[in-house]
Amino acid sequence: MRAFEIHTFRGGKWKIDSVFDDKELALFEARRMDESSRYSGVRVIEENFNESSNETVTRTLYKGGRAEKQASVIQREVKDEAKKTARRKGAKGRTGKGKRPVKKKKKSGIAMPLIILSIIVIVGLGALFGLQHITIFR
Amino acid sequence: MTENMPDGVAREKVEDELPQGMERRLVLRLLTHWRAICGDRDYPSFSEVVPENMPDMWHNCFVLEVIGHEEDPVFRAAGGEIMSHSADSLIGTPVSFWTPDTLIGVAVSHTRDVLRKGVPMSHGDEFMKIDGTRVLYRSILLPMSDDGETISGLLGAVNCREVMED
Repeated sequence: MRAFEIHTFRGGKWKIDSVFDDKELALFEARRMDESSRYSGVRVIEENFNESSNETVTRTLYKGGRAEKQASVIQREVKDEAKKTARRKGAKGRTGKGKRPVKKKKKSGIAMPLIILSIIVIVGLGALFGLQHITIFR
Repeated sequence: MTENMPDGVAREKVEDELPQGMERRLVLRLLTHWRAICGDRDYPSFSEVVPENMPDMWHNCFVLEVIGHEEDPVFRAAGGEIMSHSADSLIGTPVSFWTPDTLIGVAVSHTRDVLRKGVPMSHGDEFMKIDGTRVLYRSILLPMSDDGETISGLLGAVNCREVMED
């Protein structure tokens, strides 16, 4: 025996609204109810009762819920906005308070090469002078 | 509750509760009407069932009284179309009186299920009349309550179509 139950989400829980023996009629009515926006959730459950095993198998054939969809759209928008905000904050953060200190590049001038050159010249002259002295003492 | 269409009430086209082009099936119209008078409650009361407010449907409607007849509800009122399907007097008879080879019999065949579940139930099928005519029908039974909690009666409706065999 098959039955098609329309459930509506009211007062925070699912309640049986009506029962049909015709699948198409139940689905049609559920969609119509869903479009009315009166209910935050509408679903159609198919119930199959197996008399020999005395078991009932149920499955959801339809799940509407305009309000739910609207809520999920709003939730998605809020999430997207949060992500955007986080991204903006992240970008701002690199230039703001917590930014990594940027080392100022020293201006490359002529002074450093001159100093190095001078040291090389002095060391060279010192070496020559030293060699001369060693030769004299011999 | 009146037995037939009240005086001065004419059959009208389906009221504009549904957008044009929408389903016009009787059971869905009555279910919509039931929900409208029900509001946020579980059940509407019989005092809110006014035949004048449902001229397009009342012809095919009937009322079953449950209080005092829990095991076998009795007919308390019916529209003209329903009355035309009963050779015997319908009002005051219990549902068990009507056999499944009559439109009224099949219309009330799910009475116990509706009382058990406490929600509107619609079903359709076909049956053979005593003269061998095949009849397709669709019916609905809707729970009503005078105190808002206990089901005191059922509002029902049924319509049918005879199938001409070749």
